[in-house]
Amino acid sequence: MAEPYLRVENLQKQFGPFIALGGVDLEIYPGEVHALLGDNGAGKSTLIKTLAGVHQPSGGQIYVEGKPVNFRSPRDASSAGIGTVYQDLALNQLMSITRNFFMGREIKGPLGTLKMDEMNKIAHDEMLKIGIDFSDPTQAVGTMSGGQRQTLAIARAIYFGARVLILDEPTSALGQKQQMEVLKTIKRVRARGDIGIIFITHNEIHSKLVADRFTFLALGKVIGSGTLQELADEDIRKLMAGGAEMADLEQELAAI
Amino acid sequence: MADRSESDRLQQETWLQRTIRRPEIGSFTVMIVIIIALSMASNGKAFNALGLKNNIAIIAQYGIIATGAAMLMIAGEFDLSIGSMIGFAGMSMAMMLKWGLPFGLGEATPFLAFFITLAMTLSIGWVIGTVVVRSGLSSFIVTLAFLFFMRGVTEVSFRLINQSTQISGLPDYKETSWFADLLGGEVFGWFYDLWFALGGNLNRRGEQWVDGFDARFLWWLIIAGGAYFILSRTQIGNWIYATGDNKESARANGVPVNRVKVGLFMFTAFCATMFAACQVFDTNTSDAAKGNLQELFAIAIAVVGGTLMTGGFGSIIGVVFGAITVGLVANAVFFIPTIDGAWFRVFLGGILLAAVFANERIRKRITGGI
Repeated sequence: MAEPYLRVENLQKQFGPFIALGGVDLEIYPGEVHALLGDNGAGKSTLIKTLAGVHQPSGGQIYVEGKPVNFRSPRDASSAGIGTVYQDLALNQLMSITRNFFMGREIKGPLGTLKMDEMNKIAHDEMLKIGIDFSDPTQAVGTMSGGQRQTLAIARAIYFGARVLILDEPTSALGQKQQMEVLKTIKRVRARGDIGIIFITHNEIHSKLVADRFTFLALGKVIGSGTLQELADEDIRKLMAGGAEMADLEQELAAI
Repeated sequence: MADRSESDRLQQETWLQRTIRRPEIGSFTVMIVIIIALSMASNGKAFNALGLKNNIAIIAQYGIIATGAAMLMIAGEFDLSIGSMIGFAGMSMAMMLKWGLPFGLGEATPFLAFFITLAMTLSIGWVIGTVVVRSGLSSFIVTLAFLFFMRGVTEVSFRLINQSTQISGLPDYKETSWFADLLGGEVFGWFYDLWFALGGNLNRRGEQWVDGFDARFLWWLIIAGGAYFILSRTQIGNWIYATGDNKESARANGVPVNRVKVGLFMFTAFCATMFAACQVFDTNTSDAAKGNLQELFAIAIAVVGGTLMTGGFGSIIGVVFGAITVGLVANAVFFIPTIDGAWFRVFLGGILLAAVFANERIRKRITGGI
């Protein structure tokens, strides 16, 4: 078995008296999609924000390529190769694709001038690699569809050195066809083989379509994990509901 | 179906279609209409040798401060203190020239008076910017506070030191100081020389009538040209757009949002200082009421030029067209004596409202909101 790029051991996070994460273990391998599932409030957001350097852990340890790391800021995490694509995507609608792609990390010539041609070409090529062909990189992001914006944000994270890509519910709030587009993009990134993907979702079908490995969170703890082969459909469904027996729910519903 | 990709959905536009969709097209059209209407209504007097000089003088004044206001608006903030900053800077320079340097450090040269004033105004710009980004308060209210504060400081200083709220009769520094000439003298003399050589530009005695444009014309070109270059071609320009569009996503990508904003508040202070310096060294006077209401003209011109009130979008070229339009209309009363000067404000209010609607349409088109 290959070495995981990112390993999390007994990660804990408390906000005052509230235990958001009560000891979470997680291993992310390159070339794999790791689905992170759990109900609202299970601790998914806290976990990814801790991995992204937004929160500092209260206990436990994060390892990158086997070495213990301490992220004090999002910048630390991104230079360690953790690229996070949040739900809002951190894109600016009025700006062009290229200007968004290089926002804050522009390629500069003399006097701080932008190398626009080079940047246009890179933005176009990087987006093409994961499946979207844009004729005009000067088009404003506001004119793109939700799925295309996801692709832009993912391509940007990869170009700027992400080895682990955290996708925060990339398929929510999208139409059916665009959801499929995003899943295809995830598959293409996986096919590169060098990038591990943390795929956060509520959708059982989406996770089964692309994920190699699953981790289920409930109330700040891991309640189940395993590879696609190890887990039966029934297990996945049960764990997604936070461990509660679906049969119980059926009875409860019938009683109303 | 399978051989159709997303890129096919974006219609290829011709050069003409692209031009018509440019954000500057509205202000450009209005400008052309005004130029034609004004030349006809004034029998060409608005664009004879002296008319052109006088028109450019007021256009350049508006253009200088509107450039600063537009840059700041693109980054998502307002500066209502521009007018008071003009008054303050003019007072500071004239007072040093008349009464000497502060703390009895001796006579002030135009050079020293300008740079000491600039150091003060840039510091005030820095303070305003820092208060806005640190407090997270609306720049509207913070700069409104500075509008009153600075105007008050200007008047109080005048009364305390000068016993009167105006200074006139300063010596003509343009004659003795190259620096004063740079700010208040004349530029592009070759243009009027050429006009004279070609048989125009004559006064009643048949001599050359006008020698050159006011120096502020050159300063406007430099400031607007520099702003255009920075905005469209440099990293800082990308940061300005990013800051005004959505500052959280800009910050998440490593754009130093606060530094961008503070820097632009200092830039509007710089523009106000240039406005005041050109005025002081041109007329050799100063007055506590100088620059009154100019901040509102600056913002109005920025909006007429296509700058979005919500930030993230705007064009310096549009602002140039806006300054020309508003400047010409402000001056029109001098060339068409039969009209009431107050029509200027009626006109400005009208095109301002029209521009806001036009800009909103542009924003919706770009963000796909139609």
